Amino acid sequence: MPALTFKNVSKTFGDNTVIDAFSADIHDGEFLVLLGPSGCGKSTLLRMIAGLSDITSGDLLFDGSVANDWEPKQRGVAFVFQTYALYPHMTVRENIAFPLIMDAFRKWYHLPIVNIVARHRLMKRADIAERTLSIARQLELEPLLDRRPASLSGGQRQRVALARALVRNPALYLLDEPLSNLDAKLRTQMRSEISALHHKVGKTFVYVTHDQVEAMTMATRIIVMNKGIVQQVDTPDEIYDHPANTFVARFVGSPPMNLIPASVRNNALQLSGRLAVEHAAPLPPRRELTFGVRPEKLTLHPAGEGRLPAQVAVVERLGAETVIGCRLMTGEENKDQRLLEHDLVFVRVSGNPKIKIGELCSLDYQADDVLWFDIDNGDRIFLDQE
Amino acid sequence: MMTPRKLAMKALRYTLIGVLVVLAGFPVYWMAATALNVNSQLYGTGQVAWPQLQHLPDLVTELGNVPIGRWLFNTLLIASGGTILSLTLGALAGYALSRFKFHGRGLVGFLLFMTQVVPEALILVPLYAMFITFGLLNSLTGLILANVGFSLPVACFVLKGAMDAVPYEIEESAIIDNCPRFSVLTMIILPLIMPSIAAAAVVAFFAGWNEFLFASTFLMDNSLWPASVGLASFVGQYETPMSAVLGAALVFSLPAIVFFLLIQRKIVAGLTAGAVKG
Repeated sequence: MPALTFKNVSKTFGDNTVIDAFSADIHDGEFLVLLGPSGCGKSTLLRMIAGLSDITSGDLLFDGSVANDWEPKQRGVAFVFQTYALYPHMTVRENIAFPLIMDAFRKWYHLPIVNIVARHRLMKRADIAERTLSIARQLELEPLLDRRPASLSGGQRQRVALARALVRNPALYLLDEPLSNLDAKLRTQMRSEISALHHKVGKTFVYVTHDQVEAMTMATRIIVMNKGIVQQVDTPDEIYDHPANTFVARFVGSPPMNLIPASVRNNALQLSGRLAVEHAAPLPPRRELTFGVRPEKLTLHPAGEGRLPAQVAVVERLGAETVIGCRLMTGEENKDQRLLEHDLVFVRVSGNPKIKIGELCSLDYQADDVLWFDIDNGDRIFLDQE
Repeated sequence: MMTPRKLAMKALRYTLIGVLVVLAGFPVYWMAATALNVNSQLYGTGQVAWPQLQHLPDLVTELGNVPIGRWLFNTLLIASGGTILSLTLGALAGYALSRFKFHGRGLVGFLLFMTQVVPEALILVPLYAMFITFGLLNSLTGLILANVGFSLPVACFVLKGAMDAVPYEIEESAIIDNCPRFSVLTMIILPLIMPSIAAAAVVAFFAGWNEFLFASTFLMDNSLWPASVGLASFVGQYETPMSAVLGAALVFSLPAIVFFLLIQRKIVAGLTAGAVKG
């Protein structure tokens, strides 16, 4: 597997900078997920690795060699597109075998009409036929080999696209939101299948998604991007537990981390403007900041028993757990009846508690579970660095 | 069970189709009926409205006196040569216009469009002078090239439009699979736009098949004439053998009808392609 290194890679379309000075290393055998909202530049980055998009500035290194101008075929990568990009006029067998046939093509085979004959003959060649069949078996596509993509379901097409990527045994697999066109059930199934495949082939996977659940469940490492800028590069656990900034804190996790404006006056904490809270730990030496806590780190109590008085505004019963959206009782809660995510504090509790919308309750937390962020730029504040 | 309203609508539909079939088919029928009549009846008032098969041997003898096979072959050569050349160059040009960004792309499109605005008769004299210079006068090659000048832009536009509708990802996928650009076009793109190729083929083929103006101007040797010029040569100073003219016209129509029948399914698919989300 080639070691892949990005050195200050940028991409601009006219005046629009899609990727700004991106630097990262991709390690051998890892499942790296590029995670970010639509338009953050993650697919462009993947296309630059494949050689489908030019690099405006900076260097992309394959095994230490600058590969900015390499043709896609020189890079030895396989690419799975969001739309699968199967060849509609070819059968599943022909689709899977196509990369092998292209590798076996001599220059003059590319002549019109000659290519038809050559393709038919190469399809019958023992090594190509066997390899195609073996990959088809691996992905349970054998009964579909003589069908065309139009007659396949989304999941089957997805598997054909994966089979076509696998057949050449490349060192690097690039997957561009391959599950986004599938329904929720199939997506869960394919997620497991792709993870299993990664373990089986042991090659490097670079996977683009905007779905944080996909990223958290599949990745060995995640690069979180926003507006062409890397926000954080780390393992899924680290990204979840120790987000580098409010963007990551909000983007990873469902429901996202609760981020509440806070102020510190005379070493006393006030949340959401007026709610004075007794915080049993040292506070950052800032006047204004953001208080962050994950929904599962909050605990739900009857009114008056927790430090944060609240009123239930939303109840989402998910079966094994319940997500409750509360409005903090700051004294001004009646002025604002919006139910936006930003205005509510979410708490995740196991089971199915008997709680109703409008009911008064209280929330509590452990001081160790609180993360502090800069209120202006959103960066994480570490107490020991202050 | 059909309601009376539905039944009436169906009857109306079939009646309309019947009328259209009669309108379209009557000239062909009249051509056959006239071909199998005797000239004396055609110039008098006694033309029989149906084909008289007893005159078939006379018609065959009369058509045997002219190189009808040769003319038909020339027409086929002009039509198919022009079609192949137009489709080949049109596919390459259409692909370039569809996929590559280059300076003057808009201008190329505009110039191609302009070729359709200029009437054939207007460029007849300059083309004649050019053909003399290049030694293309009185040759089928020259005639094919002149025809391609008009059918190529149409083929190019039709194929470019079809290629625009082919998703980039399919092409990029082939490039990742180690397929060179030229093979991407021949092995991936062209099979996907077959209906549009068929539509462009019909336009180019019939442009060549119906060729008359250039052929009658540039070809002096009657062994090089296409069917259209050959047909016109039946018109004499004192007499025009109408039954022979229409008999020959019938013979000339048959290959065109066969070609159209072979390709019509693909054309219909081409005309409706992209109308709905696939």
